[in-house]
Amino acid sequence: KLRSGTSTSVNLANANPQYYAATPRVMLQTLNAETANSAHINKFMQIDDAFLESIGKGHYPGYLETDFKLFGQAALLYRNLTQQLVDQLSEYSKTAAPKKATVIDGKNGAGKSAELMKLASVASSSGHIVIYAHSTFPWVNSSRPYAPANEGDLFVQHELTMELLRTVLSLSKDALMKVPLGKNVTLGKKSLAADKTLADLVEFGIHTPSLAHDALEQLLAIASAQTKVPVLIALDNINTLWCNTLYRDQEDVVLPANRLRLIRAFLPFFEGKAALAKGWAVGATSYIDTRFMPKDLRLRLNPPAMIPITNPDVASDPNVKRPSTDVPFDVIKIDRMTATEAWALMVFYQKTSVISTPVTDALVSQKYVVADGNPRQIFGSVTAYF
Amino acid sequence: MLHLLGVNLPDQKVVSVALTYFYGIGPLTARKICSRLSFHRECKLSELTEGQLNQLSGVLSEMTIENDLKRQVSANVQHLRQIGTYVGKRHAMGLPVHGQKTRNNARTAKLLNGKMLRRYSTTPNTAFAMFSSPVSSKLE
Repeated sequence: KLRSGTSTSVNLANANPQYYAATPRVMLQTLNAETANSAHINKFMQIDDAFLESIGKGHYPGYLETDFKLFGQAALLYRNLTQQLVDQLSEYSKTAAPKKATVIDGKNGAGKSAELMKLASVASSSGHIVIYAHSTFPWVNSSRPYAPANEGDLFVQHELTMELLRTVLSLSKDALMKVPLGKNVTLGKKSLAADKTLADLVEFGIHTPSLAHDALEQLLAIASAQTKVPVLIALDNINTLWCNTLYRDQEDVVLPANRLRLIRAFLPFFEGKAALAKGWAVGATSYIDTRFMPKDLRLRLNPPAMIPITNPDVASDPNVKRPSTDVPFDVIKIDRMTATEAWALMVFYQKTSVISTPVTDALVSQKYVVADGNPRQIFGSVTAYF
Repeated sequence: MLHLLGVNLPDQKVVSVALTYFYGIGPLTARKICSRLSFHRECKLSELTEGQLNQLSGVLSEMTIENDLKRQVSANVQHLRQIGTYVGKRHAMGLPVHGQKTRNNARTAKLLNGKMLRRYSTTPNTAFAMFSSPVSSKLE
């Protein structure tokens, strides 16, 4: 049965070498704190292998798995926006952190998850404490175990929290070891002395699943209050923090996300109720699974076109309500990519044999216009057969 | 296969689907049981610990399922027949009970209705035994 062009293209990358040429490996610079500069704008860069190992190979956000499989390597375009984000990260690691978190928003396939991944990779190599979740869908889609908490009306997810702590430890062990706890921390029956470091706290949480949530909450509290090492909290699919989950309580009532202890640990940072002393909290929305995109949030992020009310009677009428665009975080909108970026994208596709035709102005213009500058749609159009 | 309360459950299936293998448990009841015991949607039977299986057995044993339910349904139908209701008579005659037409169709009712009465009947096996009223049988 003939599958879609994209799927076939991706799978042919791993096909019989006797009949199919291997994907050529393009030599690229690795993205890290040193190479993340304006000299590499509009160039493809390789994501650090150590970073990929930390988040788990194959656990790529969004549609990136298909891309990386086709390229034969984890490579992303270093865009102008990426440089802006890196500059902001650098600024916040030196000066006071912003009061509000930042959320990267844009259409499907605009590059939100890719930007977050690049930012986390740069932060990890530059000595930040990085708390990066490449996807928060498993936190809410009832695919992982959960249990009612001992007290209150919250629910806990020990396995997921342990995995997150494991990722944190592998991404930023050195940074965690630089930060002492500063106070005696009691988790269950065990107490960690004040001279122990955050790395010990995270390791404790990993080895004691039932106390993983306590360890994570203590980690966030201590890391957000200290100014010795900057912190980056990067959560993809940030909209899940406000959605209705697929979990249900004992009375078979749908659980909202804020009744999950794991989500509750991060919610204050994105609602403006807690802030990092040094560092940055960034999220990226996702419209892949619309079950987890609350309608209210979608309207606030993408309000309908509103004509200004010029009639004073209508303007003063209290019954006339306009949709609210108030959100508790700053929004960075990713729009279409520039023509130069599209050109760099097509050149890379040509080098990795995704396309066999030479890259010309006409080809790039055609793909750019048809896809309206959306990277995902450009990728789809070069890999589809129709 | 996991054997629970007399039923073989396929342990590679998701819990909420496996529970529907019990007579008397459908998708909604299965989901409610999973919610009550905090089993996530994609939890398979093979992933359950012994403690969780014991909890599940406990919840299932509180419910009326399998043979208990069959007995209850059968007793309800027999009661309706014994007190001489219209519904009881329809069960006895093997015809639709809920006011459906019998001019055509009614195949399911003719096949299935009254099976419990025929299986458990104590009335004489004469030609019109099914049509005798409970009063006349007592007078005899």
